[in-house]
Amino acid sequence: MNGPLIVQSDKTLLLEVDHERADACRRVIAPFAELERAPEHIHTYRITPLGLWNARAAGHDAEQVVDALVEFSRYPVPHALLVDVAETMARYGRLTLTKHPAHGLVLSTTDRPVLEEVLRSKKVQPLVGARVDPDTVVVHPSERGQIKQTLLKLGWPAEDLAGYVDGEAHRIELAEDGWALRPYQRQAVEGFWHGGSGVVVLPCGAGKTLVGAGAMAQAKATTLILVTNTVSARQWKHELVKRTSLTEDEIGEYSGTRKEIRPVTIATYQVLTTKRKGVYPHLELFDSRDWGLIVYDEVHLLPAPVFKFTADLQARRRLGLTATLVREDGRESDVFSLIGPKRFDAPWKEIEAQGYIAPADCVEVRVDLTESERLAYATAETEEKYRFCATTATKRRVTEALVRKFAGQQTLVIGQYIDQLDELGAHLDAPVIKGETSNAQREKLFDAFRTGEISVLVVSKVANFSIDLPEATVAIQVSGTFGSRQEEAQRLGRVLRPKADGHQAHFYSVVARDTIDQDFAAHRQRFLAEQGYAYRIVDASDLLAGGPEPSGRDDSPEAASEPDAS
Amino acid sequence: MPGGRSDTAAHLPGDRSGTAAHLPGGTGGRGGAAAPRTLAEALRARGDKGLAALLRARPDLLVPVPGDMTQLATRAGTRASVVRALERLDRFALQTAEALAVAPDPAPYAVLRALLAGDDGDPEVAGALPAALEVLREQALVWGDDDRLRLVRTARELLVPSPQHPSPTGLGPTVAEATAGMSPGRLQEILAEAGLPNTHDPVSAVAALTGLFTDRVRMAALLDSAPAGALEVLDRLVWGPPYGEVTADPTPPVRWLRDRGLLLPVSARTVVLPREAALHLRAGRAHRTPEPLAPEVVPAHEHRPQVVDSAAAGQAYTALTTVEDLLREWHEGGPAVLRAGGLAVRDLRRTAAVLDVPEATAAFWLELAYGAGLLASDGEADERYAPTPAYDAWLELPAAERWARLADAWLVATRTSGLVGGQDAKGRTLAALGPDLDRGAAPEVRARVLALLAGLPAGASPDPESLLARLRWERPLRGGAPAGAPGTGADLRARLARWTLAEAELLGVTGRGALATHGRALLDRVRDGSPVPGPAPDSGPVSGSGPGSGAGAAPGPGAGSSGGAGSSPGAGSGAGADHGPGSGPGSLGSPAALLSPLLPEPVDHVLLQADLTAVAPGPLERPLAETLAVLADVESKGGATVYRFTPGSVRRALDAGRAASDLHAFLAAHSRTPVPQPLSYLIDDVARRHGHLRVGAAAAYVRCDDDALLGEILADRRSAALRLRRLAPTVLAAQTDPATLLDGLRSLGYAPAAESAEGDVLITRADAHRTPPRAAPAPVPDGPPLPDDTLLGAAVRAIRAGDLAATVPRKEPAAAEPARTPGGLPRTSAAETLATVQAAALTGSAVWIGYVNAEGTASQRVIAPVRVEGGFVTAYDHTADEVRTYPLHRVTGVSELADPDDPDDSA
Repeated sequence: MNGPLIVQSDKTLLLEVDHERADACRRVIAPFAELERAPEHIHTYRITPLGLWNARAAGHDAEQVVDALVEFSRYPVPHALLVDVAETMARYGRLTLTKHPAHGLVLSTTDRPVLEEVLRSKKVQPLVGARVDPDTVVVHPSERGQIKQTLLKLGWPAEDLAGYVDGEAHRIELAEDGWALRPYQRQAVEGFWHGGSGVVVLPCGAGKTLVGAGAMAQAKATTLILVTNTVSARQWKHELVKRTSLTEDEIGEYSGTRKEIRPVTIATYQVLTTKRKGVYPHLELFDSRDWGLIVYDEVHLLPAPVFKFTADLQARRRLGLTATLVREDGRESDVFSLIGPKRFDAPWKEIEAQGYIAPADCVEVRVDLTESERLAYATAETEEKYRFCATTATKRRVTEALVRKFAGQQTLVIGQYIDQLDELGAHLDAPVIKGETSNAQREKLFDAFRTGEISVLVVSKVANFSIDLPEATVAIQVSGTFGSRQEEAQRLGRVLRPKADGHQAHFYSVVARDTIDQDFAAHRQRFLAEQGYAYRIVDASDLLAGGPEPSGRDDSPEAASEPDAS
Repeated sequence: MPGGRSDTAAHLPGDRSGTAAHLPGGTGGRGGAAAPRTLAEALRARGDKGLAALLRARPDLLVPVPGDMTQLATRAGTRASVVRALERLDRFALQTAEALAVAPDPAPYAVLRALLAGDDGDPEVAGALPAALEVLREQALVWGDDDRLRLVRTARELLVPSPQHPSPTGLGPTVAEATAGMSPGRLQEILAEAGLPNTHDPVSAVAALTGLFTDRVRMAALLDSAPAGALEVLDRLVWGPPYGEVTADPTPPVRWLRDRGLLLPVSARTVVLPREAALHLRAGRAHRTPEPLAPEVVPAHEHRPQVVDSAAAGQAYTALTTVEDLLREWHEGGPAVLRAGGLAVRDLRRTAAVLDVPEATAAFWLELAYGAGLLASDGEADERYAPTPAYDAWLELPAAERWARLADAWLVATRTSGLVGGQDAKGRTLAALGPDLDRGAAPEVRARVLALLAGLPAGASPDPESLLARLRWERPLRGGAPAGAPGTGADLRARLARWTLAEAELLGVTGRGALATHGRALLDRVRDGSPVPGPAPDSGPVSGSGPGSGAGAAPGPGAGSSGGAGSSPGAGSGAGADHGPGSGPGSLGSPAALLSPLLPEPVDHVLLQADLTAVAPGPLERPLAETLAVLADVESKGGATVYRFTPGSVRRALDAGRAASDLHAFLAAHSRTPVPQPLSYLIDDVARRHGHLRVGAAAAYVRCDDDALLGEILADRRSAALRLRRLAPTVLAAQTDPATLLDGLRSLGYAPAAESAEGDVLITRADAHRTPPRAAPAPVPDGPPLPDDTLLGAAVRAIRAGDLAATVPRKEPAAAEPARTPGGLPRTSAAETLATVQAAALTGSAVWIGYVNAEGTASQRVIAPVRVEGGFVTAYDHTADEVRTYPLHRVTGVSELADPDDPDDSA
């Protein structure tokens, strides 16, 4: 009766991290409970139906789950919760999708009333064909994804045992010369391959690309990789050429500018979802080759139409990669049913502890608005308020002070509003990358940044995703997309790549005090705080005065110098 | 009563026959000890214990206490009492009674045994029969010794098969009954067809036929000769219903059967299989499936007892927090009481949402709190629900004690939350906490279910269906639903049992379906017959102190005894022979003491985290929990509590009068971990802005650009009455109205000017004072106003009519001169009044009445009755010149007018 776990009646699990059995407990509950918050002392896991079904898909049964809860729980576990766990888990696998030698794809059941129940649903009826026998019904092969999605919504998730097509074989090997997959990456690849399809959750900077490469090397088949944007596509290509036996010629890019289809093709979500005259002209990409593996980068950003296409691709192996399963649109269940259950995840802090991602010092700088700014803020239109407080002149001064403070270190200044960024760029004498910057120019600047030719780069939200800036050690966020949590996670990810010199990473968020900027910041930071990245809060005045900011000893009396603006 | 001892002692048939054999001889010397001829005699012959057992099993016989044995026997034979007793029999005892009802009266033991065990003699049945018979005897449903067993006549009437009430045995009437109206000639024909010699009279004919049917050998021979199809016909009727339809021209097999009396006519188209024939075909069995043994309750799962206990304790703790949450939610007054009583559906839904449970569960918690006297209506004009003072006392108890109070209240409650949301017989929805939720059977079923659970090995949870089957066996007649429809929910006992299982789980009496150790102890307390030792002494003050809580507290001691009484027949019916009243009371210790170590210990610290949460890794000590509940929002509850600090919650704490430094100190003192920087920052940040703007009320102000002047005013002692306060260098606020302030300042020698709301100086002018619009007063002349013609005409008519009434010569009634009162009111008897008025209504003539109005003033009137009905007479009143209705009972008397024309003449 002295376990590290407290089971709450709202199905959250509180794990006391400092408890001697905490690690054992974490390992046992991780398969079925989602880590929701991981601050310093007590981690919160949540038991959700999806989590339980994930566990079932991974071969765990209800008895194991219940035993784990009962064994590690400090207090008696509410019976209702145990019953609920058992009942929820028992719902998975009553229905299975299998390949029938004579009838093709069939839905069969071990529990006839369940089959009767789902067949009575209007949503299922158009997806199924003739009844083969009382326990089996034919499913139209084209509706394999649809029916899985529908059944999940009905609360009877089907286990998909219908197998996968091998796809067109293509030789892909990992070129492990002087480097190797990290243990957790290897586990992720194995977990995925063993499960067939599914999602691997790894924090930013933990090397998701390599997990993709590892999966491709396992599949040894033609692969379609879907990424968020062109820059990201280039990086994937770069990385694949470097890490695998693939050559440049074997990798095609299918984007707005280029339409190459090669054994390994990297396409952007944007080009796939381009709609012309009511149709998606680039959909044929999915059928253009007999793909053996489809990789979805940043699954949490997967646009809705891609879900629809994915529903038709259920016979192909699918790997989803993401830093967080949190979707701001709440479509986690579609990810579960169409791409697959979560096959692997590792908490952020755990990987940090293993030294694969850099520790970060997160600081929120609270900026006081000047009196005139406050008055202007108070009278601003509601929709303009955020823009106003996010782009105040005071923020610029603080940003400049911070850049000066970390002079010589690779520093990114990230923001939302172009004019603010332009102004900052002018003041900091740094190049600005924004939406209109051409890809060639972007890559040139990124290369320069990588090599250290330039040490300060001002980027708009185009750089949010998948750009790889290995040497950035300082990120300064001046404004963001309102309260987007996953944007915050992505931005922090920019500085978490391990540093060659073992430098600590710094992540600064400059926030206007007593405005909605502060509220949004609180919302954004909650996610990171829950990941264990607690923010310190400092006052801009202290910072500008070179005050008691712990890592700020090295500078700088010139902070007092007033810029000539305003 | 020494003779009676043999009656109760003689259980076994062998022993019994011995006793019966020498009863007439051995103890025959005493008159009362001979074989009893009536129930009263049989009762008289019983020992005190036997009588006590009867009265315990049938407590209704005691109200009022019968005067003598005859009275007791009569009362025991009344239909209501017998029905009640039959309903409380278990299935086999009932089957025994049913068998006796189809047996000859009186029946020897052997006949009864044959009816139940069949010709081949089922040993299980034969073994269980003596006990069943003993139950029937004890309850005075059966009397007489073993060779002359008699079922009490009322019971026989209730159980004997008749066309209207087919017996569960499916047997029809006897040959004698079925041939009652048959012609002697027809009887002789049947005898002839059946191969029997003719007899002289119908009685012997019936006897001969009965003899044939009951003789297995001859009957078998007769049936062997039956034509093809005849046996199939019999097969259809043999297990009942024994009645069949026949056509006017029956098929040969039916005709063959009918000719031999194997089917006897009931009406033109209906035939019946006589009882004797059916019994032959059934190999003597009265029931297709005698159920001598109670069905076992089958364990569905076995858990380790520790697991069960801990799961139950977890749930018990949840129960406590839920009830506390509920009552805290209603702390400042809960929802309104419906006019018909109870809680509105909307409020129930809201409560369910607050507690995060389904509505049915919310109803359970509500009823539980209500039943435990923690919650009641406040009895105010606009009635609301609110916690009772007993709740505050309850809160002070240790957790295990609190649970025991709830569990005790639940165990004996007759209110059933399971009914909430259903409809009563009139189609009205039953509201939680509302009326009509009491079900008398509930405590008994609850106790039985728990007793059956206790009968399983520790840690075993029952298969609910087997449990229900057992309950049905124990009380087959209660609930009214046929046994063929189990689980449909129609059967109240089954529903009660299901609810009991669910509620026991919710309350933590059971864990994972199995009875926990503390649940077992709880049951022992009830079983000991002294129900609810815990709250019983306290429940008096509870009901006294809280207005309207009487209903809630009443089930405590009152229903407790009924629960105890209810469970004892169950124990008597052989199901729980192990727990007579003698089994050691409290052998397991009190439930609270057993539960206590399993409940989480209160903790005195929290863990603070940088994501602005605090986790209390266990139940917090109350003062700490209360402070924290103000300072932070509760995010998740359970064994631990997760609090989240938000600017709003911190502001709430500051509003509650705490300073930022207090909060820092509080957190530092109670946190096991360092206070995270963002949390300190949050508190400081909120505190920095807290109270930045100040709001207050002032009745008037003084402003002046010269702050020295204001200082002068403040310093002046005479200004104290104005209650001035300096808000700013140039502003004073006053608590007096502007006019008083102006006067006051003037009296101090200043020359203030009044200011309007917009800040303009008000010009003081002698404003005329005006009333609101008023009408001019009406002149009041010295005399009455002159009447106009209409008025005059009316007045004249009225006077004439009154005069007519007073003076008109009237016919004296035929009877003696009615007593004339001084007022001159006519006096007639009520009957006469009615007759006269009715006659007048018929003829349309006017009559003269004396009438006393509601104030008791007497008057005389001349009326022309139009209608007389319902004790009222509607008439045209000449005196008032309108149609009026008079209650006849106010009419003192009536006289006919001498002549319709007279009034005109006299005028």
